[in-house]
Amino acid sequence: MSTTGAVGGLPWTVLRVHRTALIVWGSFVVAVVAFLVGAMGVTADAARAEAFRCLHSDSCDVTATLEYSAVLRYTATVLSHCFYAVAAWAGAALIARELESGTARLAWTQSVSPVRWLAAKLAVPALLITLSGTVLVVAYRWSWSNRPARVIGDWPATAVFVARGPAMVAYALCALAVGALAGLALRRSLPALSVSFAVMLVLSQCLDRYRADLWPTITRTGAAAYDQSGPVWQVESGVFVHGKRVPDPSYGNCEGTTSEAKRCLTEHGVTGQYSVYHPDSHFWPLHLVETGIVLAVTAVATAAAFRLLRRRTA
Amino acid sequence: MSDTAMEAAGLGKRFGRRGGWALHECSFRLPTGRVCAVVGPNGAGKSTLLAHAAGLLAPTEGSLTVLGSHPAAARERIAYVAQNKPLYPQLTVAQTLRLGHELNPARWDASVAERITYENGGLDPKAKVRTLSGGQRTRVALALALGKRPELLLLDEPMADLDPLARHELMGTLMAEAAQYGTTVVMSSHVVAELEGSCDYLLLIGGGQVRLAGDLDDLLAAHTLTTGPVRDLTPHTVVESRTTGRQLTALIRPQGPFSGGPDARATTPSLEELVLAHLRSPEAPALILASARTAAQESAA
Repeated sequence: MSTTGAVGGLPWTVLRVHRTALIVWGSFVVAVVAFLVGAMGVTADAARAEAFRCLHSDSCDVTATLEYSAVLRYTATVLSHCFYAVAAWAGAALIARELESGTARLAWTQSVSPVRWLAAKLAVPALLITLSGTVLVVAYRWSWSNRPARVIGDWPATAVFVARGPAMVAYALCALAVGALAGLALRRSLPALSVSFAVMLVLSQCLDRYRADLWPTITRTGAAAYDQSGPVWQVESGVFVHGKRVPDPSYGNCEGTTSEAKRCLTEHGVTGQYSVYHPDSHFWPLHLVETGIVLAVTAVATAAAFRLLRRRTA
Repeated sequence: MSDTAMEAAGLGKRFGRRGGWALHECSFRLPTGRVCAVVGPNGAGKSTLLAHAAGLLAPTEGSLTVLGSHPAAARERIAYVAQNKPLYPQLTVAQTLRLGHELNPARWDASVAERITYENGGLDPKAKVRTLSGGQRTRVALALALGKRPELLLLDEPMADLDPLARHELMGTLMAEAAQYGTTVVMSSHVVAELEGSCDYLLLIGGGQVRLAGDLDDLLAAHTLTTGPVRDLTPHTVVESRTTGRQLTALIRPQGPFSGGPDARATTPSLEELVLAHLRSPEAPALILASARTAAQESAA
């Protein structure tokens, strides 16, 4: 079929037409992995040395420890937001620009049906996103789980939460599908870019807002309410006032010795305390439910894109 | 193998739910092996018709069959060059031809495509498409279309951005290729002059409907251009008549033998005269010759 190379036909065309995007994305993946490997080699070792010194000295420097925390935080931020770039590209360049300039018609009047064309346009980037996204997530998890002591592992933070698992890949695939749908529906690059970007912004903000509700929380009451072990995601905490929950109470009024404070609490009707949280073990259920929701949106957008194309062309 | 290249039955297309009809109740038949000119004013529906034939648009009503099947099923055997000659600007000329090969694995004829692209003061294979002039783009677009060895070649305003010399050369190449492989060519244009001498079939579209359809020679023979004193032209069908003083110039469809009288001249019109007269008189009745009638039209006639 093909004259040279392992890839021929439609996949070759998709790769060749979008070569610039391929190079940019490939450079991004290489840069992130190189950055993490470099940080692991240099900064993490320095942070471990600092931690060792801190054990044996009254005062010590924590520059490298903070630096490694920043590496984890910034990389997570980049990884959990890179789907916006995918959304912009898929909205503007993948489909809409071809419809705008007429090159889609060029492809459809070769021996390739519009449906097969769209399938290749989605499948080739989807495959590359899945492969490279897996590499990125694995690299991030590796530098996360090998973090030196004292580097904060703040897993509920949005960026870290997304970057530590398949949700990162799911968001990128969703951006691809939403971008393609916007491109097909609007047929012009700039509006499609804006709409696909906006849709992904709304989706990710919604999931960010309701993330804690995606899996049942644990509620603890009594003396052990604030006594969780391990890094937990504190969703809500407060006190019982006459049996009713009052979140985030002001303790400012109750100061002084233990007995004074106790009397003060009794005067306010405080009968106990509680906390609502996700333990560390809830990371995967929460993460997988979110991934599932994002993939469901992806599936709906993909189906809608094919339906729209089928209805419009012969 | 069907002897019909294209057949429309009540074809209609409306863009948007409240838009006007780009094509409406369009019915005609085009036999294979012909070089058909689709003419009409801007916005008449020429491009819409060709896009339907290329399987790019779904009709709102009616149907269009191409090479005996649904346009989508005949995709491999059809080539189409759109009006703005879309090509990928970031590819080189050689890569564009490779694209033709990759997307038409079963039919691609590299020698045809390369001959059109590279011979006779042709293009540099390494030149990026974005650097090409309008005429050079047309050349690449035509190479891509002919390299597919189509049975039906659809060209939407193919020569619009070419200088007269390039137009003449490319038209020559096109006609030679078409003749060699018996390709049916359907070419739209609003420049009638560029069709004269290369087309043997005519489809005149106006207001989204077929106004004239049939063998070009037969259509010309069915009309008479007459000049003479002002007089009643019944029972002949008058397409257009103009009076200058006591002189009357008219294009008519003679019903029975026509004699203009002693002072009148009667000639067969040229393609341009035929087309212009019909464009100027949108209310003139349509004329669809037997070879261009669909089975339904034939039984109605």
